[in-house]
Amino acid sequence: MEIPEKPSPEVNPWAKPFWDAAKEEKLMLQKCTDCEHHIFYPRIACPHCFSDNVEWVEASGSGTLFSYTIVENNAPSAFMKDMPFVVALVRLDEGVQMLSNIVDCDFSELRCDMPVQVTFEKLNEDFTLPKFRPVRK
Amino acid sequence: MGSLKGKVAIVGIGEVPTGRFPDKPAIYHAVESAKRAIRDSGVDKDEIDFVMPTAAMFSFSYVGELTTGRVAEELGLKNCKKNCLIFSGGSSGSTGLQMAAGMIASGTAKTVLFVHSDKLGTGLTAQGGIDLFSVSGISPEWEVPYGQHYSTVASLSTTRYKYETGCTDEHFAAVCVSNRKWAELNPNAFFRKPLTIEEVMASKMLSTPLRAKMSNMLFDGGSAFIVTSAERAKDLPNKPVYILGEGGVVTHHVFSQEPDISRYGWARAGKEAFEEAGITPADIDVAEIYDSYPIYQVIAFEEIGLCKRGEAGEMFLRGDTWPGGRIPCTTNGGMLSQGHTGAGGGVAIMVEAARQLMGKAGERQVEGARFAVKTGTGGTYMDAQVTVFGTEIP
Repeated sequence: MEIPEKPSPEVNPWAKPFWDAAKEEKLMLQKCTDCEHHIFYPRIACPHCFSDNVEWVEASGSGTLFSYTIVENNAPSAFMKDMPFVVALVRLDEGVQMLSNIVDCDFSELRCDMPVQVTFEKLNEDFTLPKFRPVRK
Repeated sequence: MGSLKGKVAIVGIGEVPTGRFPDKPAIYHAVESAKRAIRDSGVDKDEIDFVMPTAAMFSFSYVGELTTGRVAEELGLKNCKKNCLIFSGGSSGSTGLQMAAGMIASGTAKTVLFVHSDKLGTGLTAQGGIDLFSVSGISPEWEVPYGQHYSTVASLSTTRYKYETGCTDEHFAAVCVSNRKWAELNPNAFFRKPLTIEEVMASKMLSTPLRAKMSNMLFDGGSAFIVTSAERAKDLPNKPVYILGEGGVVTHHVFSQEPDISRYGWARAGKEAFEEAGITPADIDVAEIYDSYPIYQVIAFEEIGLCKRGEAGEMFLRGDTWPGGRIPCTTNGGMLSQGHTGAGGGVAIMVEAARQLMGKAGERQVEGARFAVKTGTGGTYMDAQVTVFGTEIP
């Protein structure tokens, strides 16, 4: 069967700084200047204290692997050629959680709560996706 | 805030078999299920003043027909005042019942028909089904680009739950076996042949640790129920299935925003529902727990208090949840064995909860069942909805 192109993120206007930064291989988060929580994904107002005073800050890119799965069969059409690949839930040190892929890894080394570090993969001319890899000592 | 406890009842149920019916249009499943529910209830069709279809997922144009009154017209309902689509994915049966109950208790509606129908088995190709469930309810900005789909959602929860509790893949396979034992006794279920742990564990790996036989399959089907006041219910032929308590919580939309993917909001929703009902999980005779994947049946079963965290797997394994067991669970076979019909999985177990309490479950009847609990959840398990039912008002 014909494999469709990988889906690009459908960007909300207020999240554009996130994607612009990702293209420059920077992981940016919103931070509320009133309650000081970091925010992911980007919002129009702080989801914790409802303040409008949110700013963009660069994240450390460090976190832990909260959970993961290795996709071996029945992937969405656009991901057929990628199998096997890892879908993961990562908890950043800033206290936010994001979905991503774990790349540059031996599947057998994956464990919940292991440290991971951001890395960037170019999707196409318009988008670079933040992904993660295990931290090696 | 007023309680709905004991004011409203399910008085009629209808269902068509779940399966692959290329020659039957989706509206057949809706109208036939609704017709059966109306006849079962003993109400005159023209008493129905509110029709609540829930959405189908295989076709937007069919949803348009449901939205604009097709069911009411096909049934020839002469006193229908409102037709309004109620949809929250897999929790639609729970949220629809709650809305119907609120309207009936306030006098805004008298008799509500809730009806589900879908054609996911023959209205889509197999890959079309996978692709639909890799975008529907999944964030196109934050998760679709990473290959997220419902198998990965379930697997992420399973991996974390195993890590925290020490449960094994055999425990999840046991959920499939338990549900199958019930489906063997359910003429409306698609999968009715006996299933073993070994067969589940030998099936194809989809996304670790989720295997093909731990995954639901998509089918055509429909089911419906009739809701009216407890007062009106007294004059009707079925044993009234009273709504005793209800609890709900919406915890996320984008999956990564769920604070705890191995617990979700079930504990809070369950506590609310049991407190309102005035009974405890120990009083429950039959537990209709939403499955779709084994992990969700395990988590909800534990979190609403039917056992302690980490213990459900052993219960499913040793037969506590099987026919004749201590706490019969998901007695129609669930989406894992009756089949996944979109929002219908959650409606089918609502119908099954009522069926058990009415004493009309045939070969799989739980003898003397007085109290039942039913759960439902939509999207990437964005909400936790719990309803407690009884044939008496404690």
